[in-house]
Amino acid sequence: MASHAENGKFHYHEPGLQHQFEDMGQQEESVSIGMWVFLVQEIMFFGGLFTAYLVFRSRFPLAFAEGSNHLDAFWGGLNTLVLIVSSLTMALTVYYAQRGNRNMQVIMILLTMAFGATFLGVKVIEYTDKYNSGLIPVTGWNKRANEAQPAVEERAGAVMPWETAVAAAESGSEKKKPYINPHGEFQWNYGRHVYDYAIEKEKSGKPYLTESERVGYFSNGVFDPNKYRDKIRIFYFIYFVMTGLHALHMIVGLGLMAWLLFVAWRGDFSALYYAPVEMSGLYWHFVDIVWIFLFPLLYLLGRHFLH
Amino acid sequence: MQTQDGIIAEQSGIPKQNYLTNGTTLKSWLLTKDHKRIAIMYLITVSLFFMAGGIYASAIRLELLTPPSDLLESGTYNKVFTQHGILMIFFFLIPSIPAVLGNFLLPIMIGAKDLALPRINLLSLYIYWIGGALTVWALLQGGVDTGWTFYTPYSTTFSNTYVMAVGLGIFINGFSSILTGLNFIVTVHTMRAPGMTWFRLPLFVWAQYATSLVMILGTPVIAITILLLAIERFAQVGIFDPSIGGDPILFQHLFWFYSHPAVYIMILPGMGVISELISNFSRKKIFGYEFIAFSSIAIAVFGFLVWGHHMFVSGQSIYAGLVFSFLTMVVAVPSAIKMFNWTATMYKGSILFETPMLYAIGFLGLFLIGGLTGLFLGSMGLVVHLTDTYFVVAHFHYVMVGGQVIAYLGGIHYWWPKMTGRMYSEFWGKISAMLVFIGFNLTFFPQFILGYLGMPRRYASYPEEMQVLNIFSTAGASVLGVGLIMPVVYLTQSLIAGKPAGDNPWMFPGLEWRTSSPPPTENFEVTPVVTWEAYEFSDENGLDIDEARRRQAVTTV
Amino acid sequence: MSDNHNEGHIGYPGYLGVFAVLVAGTLLTYWSSFLDLDAIFPGANTLLALLIAFTKMTCVMLFFMHVYWSPKLIWLSAIASFFWLAIMFAYTMQDYVTRGTGVF
Repeated sequence: MASHAENGKFHYHEPGLQHQFEDMGQQEESVSIGMWVFLVQEIMFFGGLFTAYLVFRSRFPLAFAEGSNHLDAFWGGLNTLVLIVSSLTMALTVYYAQRGNRNMQVIMILLTMAFGATFLGVKVIEYTDKYNSGLIPVTGWNKRANEAQPAVEERAGAVMPWETAVAAAESGSEKKKPYINPHGEFQWNYGRHVYDYAIEKEKSGKPYLTESERVGYFSNGVFDPNKYRDKIRIFYFIYFVMTGLHALHMIVGLGLMAWLLFVAWRGDFSALYYAPVEMSGLYWHFVDIVWIFLFPLLYLLGRHFLH
Repeated sequence: MQTQDGIIAEQSGIPKQNYLTNGTTLKSWLLTKDHKRIAIMYLITVSLFFMAGGIYASAIRLELLTPPSDLLESGTYNKVFTQHGILMIFFFLIPSIPAVLGNFLLPIMIGAKDLALPRINLLSLYIYWIGGALTVWALLQGGVDTGWTFYTPYSTTFSNTYVMAVGLGIFINGFSSILTGLNFIVTVHTMRAPGMTWFRLPLFVWAQYATSLVMILGTPVIAITILLLAIERFAQVGIFDPSIGGDPILFQHLFWFYSHPAVYIMILPGMGVISELISNFSRKKIFGYEFIAFSSIAIAVFGFLVWGHHMFVSGQSIYAGLVFSFLTMVVAVPSAIKMFNWTATMYKGSILFETPMLYAIGFLGLFLIGGLTGLFLGSMGLVVHLTDTYFVVAHFHYVMVGGQVIAYLGGIHYWWPKMTGRMYSEFWGKISAMLVFIGFNLTFFPQFILGYLGMPRRYASYPEEMQVLNIFSTAGASVLGVGLIMPVVYLTQSLIAGKPAGDNPWMFPGLEWRTSSPPPTENFEVTPVVTWEAYEFSDENGLDIDEARRRQAVTTV
Repeated sequence: MSDNHNEGHIGYPGYLGVFAVLVAGTLLTYWSSFLDLDAIFPGANTLLALLIAFTKMTCVMLFFMHVYWSPKLIWLSAIASFFWLAIMFAYTMQDYVTRGTGVF
């Protein structure tokens, strides 16, 4: 209510002003600082995961590169672009809310939600692919297939703009190996190209393996594919936890957008009162920024080893 | 002064309309946005957790009366000390002063009507209840035995107890802490009354601000650590398992990144209370206001750089140990600055030996010993001998109980008249303060000696020659227990039949003493305009002490 | 106060410009990941990717999140949070980097 009676006196205050504040400026300032403090703590929240990533990648860079090569950078890149577009539409939502343009606000929020949902849809595609390939680090959470069943047809990698379809099919031929995983545990059937590349490079004298790797990949002096697989499994664990937590924040963001849509539809926002839109925008942009860092760190690690 | 329905300051007796009487249904309490009511609800919950933790402590001390593990067998003993630690640290010490005294007093001390985000404050309380309920449920189901530190790989792979449930309870509770810190930071920045500049703020507010910084920067990291722990326990992926390439030290790094600043979350508000107590009860302006204010911030910042001193012997590199050891010495400096300033404040002050001041003076001595022994533990050579012995236990109890709990008790007694409008029995207050001090020293000082002699911590049995000191310790614990239960009795009694306090029973110049006791829901009848510096015991600030004393003498029954 | 939000914001063309920069950054980071920059010095690929990511983040923060027009306190919070991240990374890594290196 913009005005009300209190103790027999008539009070007027701006729409949306809460009782503990003197005026709208104080409320906006408080809400803004509050949201930024919340984002600071969210940064520290993700920071713990980045620390774990940093520690393990510095110890086992080859395994990380190996694992990263089997993340489809196309989908990751697409997701990045999708999120960037959604950030744009979110910024425009604030722009229109400030001008009180209800219809454009609603359209922009819907677009933002659509792109957010697209992001989640792509994540579903990616996770399903991991499920089918036995790359989920938890035993029993992968697709189970035994020898009696027909070999699973792997999805061929997306054709890159600079490749022909034949080349793409040939480069993806490894993926079409029969897939056998009766217990649904983590499997690594994709060879050790990065490791081989590193060993080649080492022959020319430059040390390529870290201290941890010299111990960690070998049993009795011989390369042990199971130990290598374990390190790759750690990479996938970090991948799933980081992108999963990010996706969770995305889902929360979509919920926030749904609420915002409802309030914007009512026409509540104008030049006098649009702080909720701006604060929701801050949250959305934060989620975008986390992905901006996740994408190169998870998806683009090891590509340069293959060329 | 004539009484009216409204609230007039300088009135004696309890005003008819105050925050306690403004709505008497359960719904008005559970759905309140009033920071004072939320503080009272926190007070009750926090006290319950303290008593539960105290029961576990009694079990520990009873077991340690005799050398063999006869009262509790080792597995149970592990659960008992773990649960004592978890309840005391996460559910009592961390919320105590910020959530109870901070929530109640921060808006009043800065002249605001409420915190900036009252509904977030209520959410914080709900989250605390939910996390606490989950943890209590898990403890009743069978508890955890990993130690409050949840070290891997025991907690992830081998422990057969409710690690995930308790971890989840702590995870949820962390958000309560974060939201409280968030609220305080915003409030101090935006809700100060006209004229209340940063350097006129009471040092209690500076301490809460510094604590809030630590809360928001540190607590998310323990949240993610517990999440990783839970996933690791559930999925056995191996990030903390060395045989698969993981690293248990990573868990310790992430855990202590929060848990060391957590101890500053615990002590900084206590130091804020002590600044208030010492200055006011010496009737003297605090010595070195800016130094104490900046020291609080310095402790908050430097506290993030020293976590490795909990890991000297766990396998981190010696170079890292050196860096952390050096920084541990550095972080003691701001605390020492405060100690000197408090002592200098008392010099030539006009000291009132009321109960809160007894607690404050006790704090000075006990925190000194606790802090000093922390330095012993921070030096790498000595810590090899002392690590995981009772020396560590004695050290942290000196700072946490001798420091924080005593400051909390002092604060509760000091602001009790403001919160409830009643004075407690000064006689019983003094008796229990002295019992707490004597009992505490008798309990924990022998533990320094025990630790030096080599008695390991977290052991249910020990060599026979250490029994005498353990008996002293348990005897002290019983005295301490009596001293801690007594306030429950006489404070509750004061609610029923205590003498009504006026708005300013101690005649102090703080802004919180310029509104009635208990305050009205909106804290002040009229928004105060602050024209005086903090801790000014003189007439220019508008507090005419002699006049107020005369009025008090006439109108009090 | 609400008036200062209306001034100084970059408007439609500004937002589209920032968007273009972000898209360009993404494409650049994707393309450069295929080049073997580690021949220059180890970790060059990662460094470049992080630099591009930092630039993108800065664009989003300054212009989409309006930090450029925000009070100094907001600038301080944003910078402080990265500083704290840096503390966590550096002090954790100082342990791992110095293990097994002889005396230390």
